[in-house]
Amino acid sequence: MVTREDVINIARLSKLYIAEEDLDEMTKAMADIVKFADTINNASEDGVEFDNINNLSNAFREDEVVPSYDRDEILSNANDTDEGHFLVRKRV
Amino acid sequence: MQYEMVAGFETHVELATNTKIFCSCTTQFGADSNTHCCPICIGLPGVLPKLNRQAVRYAIMAGLATNCHIANISKMDRKNYCYPDLPKAYQISQYDKPLCENGYIQLSNGRKIRLNRIHIEEDAGKLIHKRGDTYVDYNRGGVPLIEIVSEPDIRSVEEAKEYVEKLQQIMRYIGVSDCRMQEGSMRCDVNVSVRPVGSTELGTRTEIKNMNSITFIGRAMEYEFARQVDLIESGGEVEQQTLRYNDAENTTSPMRGKEDANDYRYFRDPDLVTISVTDEEIEELKAKIPELPFEKVERYVNELGLSEKDAANIAKYRNIAEFFEAASEGVKNPKSVSNFIIGQIFRRLETEEDKENFDIKTTPEQLCELVKLIEAGKIKNNLAKSTLEKMLDTGKPVTEFVSESDMAGLDENALAELCKKAVESNPKAVEDFKKGKQKAVKSLVGFVMKESRGKADAAAAEKIIIEIIGG
Ligand SMILES: [Zn+2]
Repeated sequence: MVTREDVINIARLSKLYIAEEDLDEMTKAMADIVKFADTINNASEDGVEFDNINNLSNAFREDEVVPSYDRDEILSNANDTDEGHFLVRKRV
Repeated sequence: MQYEMVAGFETHVELATNTKIFCSCTTQFGADSNTHCCPICIGLPGVLPKLNRQAVRYAIMAGLATNCHIANISKMDRKNYCYPDLPKAYQISQYDKPLCENGYIQLSNGRKIRLNRIHIEEDAGKLIHKRGDTYVDYNRGGVPLIEIVSEPDIRSVEEAKEYVEKLQQIMRYIGVSDCRMQEGSMRCDVNVSVRPVGSTELGTRTEIKNMNSITFIGRAMEYEFARQVDLIESGGEVEQQTLRYNDAENTTSPMRGKEDANDYRYFRDPDLVTISVTDEEIEELKAKIPELPFEKVERYVNELGLSEKDAANIAKYRNIAEFFEAASEGVKNPKSVSNFIIGQIFRRLETEEDKENFDIKTTPEQLCELVKLIEAGKIKNNLAKSTLEKMLDTGKPVTEFVSESDMAGLDENALAELCKKAVESNPKAVEDFKKGKQKAVKSLVGFVMKESRGKADAAAAEKIIIEIIGG
């Protein structure tokens, strides 16, 4: 069961704004999505490991330093910056 | 009613890798903000993290050195939460399949503090709060960490301090971290609860976050223990909450409400494949783990005749322990080596960091040579001490300062001559001694030592001087 409160909570955690009038529709849509995801339960068999279906392991990187990016480039996508930092403004 | 403290630790330790855990940016401390960053560690969409092999190795070594079982198969998960120190809005960590499980640290009182697990994860960025705004530096974001989670097996502040110190020593010994608490490369969350002595149930716990000094950990735990006991005694109940320790006031205060575990919505990170470790690889890493400090203490006490305290002082620092062992090679009584180290050499090493680095000019072979000369009766202790000072100043061997003739010692006649001279040239001291001032003889012995340039045997000289004066 997905409740209106779940949707509000998830939206808050995901930093999404959902208008009051959209909540009912969104709740129903979320319930459908979860129901769809639930179909995976039908596929479960004892002893079958779904965790690693690709059977891949150990894609490692060696511990060798590569120069980092220029700071201006790193900060170029930020909404706000100051003194070489990402800046998160006080929420009013 | 008597209450007992019950505490457990979650300890974050930054691994000493060259690069971050999922990208090749350097982990170097202290650079300008956001200069050790790339699209991976600032969490831009569409990038692919790739796990640092060395971080996995270090974590396994940490597990082996703390008696953990190493999982042959483990994986990385996403821990979701939304805070500016985490640019992806999730931290890559390990949830249900950590790398290491079921270890323990043994304390000096014999009690074992069980370790539930050690897992690897990425560090978050650093936040600086100014005028209500938050400044974010992601240099630290993505630095590899291990989180060492203990069971609530700690029963006192003393045990807590020893636990943290032991972890610190072990991690430094095996070289997986420098564990500098002031720089944040080792940080502890401490959970504390109380219960009536004799009870086996666990009380409601509070968690004190992000402690970066052993002294503060002790004070915070004492404060929290007293606070909880007061609360219960006055009919109240302890509320489960996350606290911050304010060192200026020595109090704890609640932090902003934290989402509970369900809200982390852990799930496997689809970008990172399974970590598989073979038994052979585990054995290989096991072979890299040196003798650990507590093993050294035991050996120093039982085989080399050191006191428990001296042994602990030497074994605490790997560089010093190695120096001591090399300098004791072929020495009859290694205790004299440890005395020189703890006495004269430690005086030159003021801070913990100095001791950790142990940057001195004298080599272990040179100290060994000096001690062997004492044991062969060729150099008296006083001369040895002043010579060691010169050796430490210059890095030159003992033979630079003590000649063959010095080492030959004084024959009996020469000693008797000097004693006679001492009595003749110091009538005042002789007078004092005759009047019953026992100490006056020391200045006469001092005269002999000086004249002989430290070669004389002080005890023998004293005996002869007393004979001369008396006779
Ligand atoms: Zn990076």
